[in-house]
Amino acid sequence: MDFNEIYKTYWQKIFRLCMGYVNNFDLAQDLAQETFIIVWQQLPNFRKESTVQTWIYRIASNNCLRQIEKEKRITKADLPIGFKDECQESLEPQIKMLYKFISELPETDRIIISLELEEINQAEIANIVGLSETNIRVKIHRIKKKLTQKFKERGQ
Amino acid sequence: MDNNINFKNIWQQQKVNPPDMDDLHTKVKQYKRASLRKQIFYNVVLAATFGFIIFIWIYYQPQFISTKIGIILIVMAMVIYLFSYNSMLSILNKIDNTQTNSKYLQSLRTLNTKQKYLQTTIMSLYFIMLSIGICLVMYESASKMTVFWASVTYICTLNWIGFNWFYIRPRTIKKQQAKLDELLHKFEAINQQLK
Repeated sequence: MDFNEIYKTYWQKIFRLCMGYVNNFDLAQDLAQETFIIVWQQLPNFRKESTVQTWIYRIASNNCLRQIEKEKRITKADLPIGFKDECQESLEPQIKMLYKFISELPETDRIIISLELEEINQAEIANIVGLSETNIRVKIHRIKKKLTQKFKERGQ
Repeated sequence: MDNNINFKNIWQQQKVNPPDMDDLHTKVKQYKRASLRKQIFYNVVLAATFGFIIFIWIYYQPQFISTKIGIILIVMAMVIYLFSYNSMLSILNKIDNTQTNSKYLQSLRTLNTKQKYLQTTIMSLYFIMLSIGICLVMYESASKMTVFWASVTYICTLNWIGFNWFYIRPRTIKKQQAKLDELLHKFEAINQQLK
């Protein structure tokens, strides 16, 4: 498996997962980059016990979960509010709102809904998170309900 | 159940330009260089410590075996402390990050518990070795003093050691534990979400 190919295919997806988790553009980019450094390191050990996609999403979501250990860095990433934020400003409010709402969910719910929105099937999500498929289905249903409600409260 | 809101569509509109491959390669190189630098640093420190022991040995020419043992104990205490601290940091990076989220959280928790135990043990070991080392090193010079001054010296030193053992050590341990406990609680809370 070629690293460059993985990078091209998954960068955007992994970034969105991280963005949903932290709702901070710079931090999400850092997290995505960290993920790919781990992928690069671990690629020779990849044993095809799962698909590459499952494997990469596991690394990415675990890295997000580890985030709390490095929480000090958030404040650091928060500091340089400047040019980069402008590209976020130009985004449609709906997109901003969705990412904001997702980042306010409990940690594991953020991961589950992000994977669902990336159109990953529920069996695979179950395999990434480590829960049963039924459990995942119920959770997704609840999370979507919660998100819809939040959107409605904001008059969307 | 989406109630007409197409979350998938909104979600996928969030775009970001992938950073240059070169950028990532630079990061990887930096990372490699940093770990190499760390290795070099620890080897230099180790070499310097041994150089220091040899220097004291030659310069002061200790006559008593107790002094020699004392010096070795003190230096060993420092080396153990330095290395264990470093290895504890790297332990954390050894967790398999390709397991499922729930298993990953479990290993993080087990590791933190282990870390907690290690910190306390090593901290105590450090203080014990250091204290015994100091008492032994002092013996040679104290034996040349009058009984009165030798006692004064030992009483002062023992007081200082006691202060370290009963005040500084528990405080340091408490501080380290507080950080780990906070993490443990957070991991625990996240793990609960998966129940």
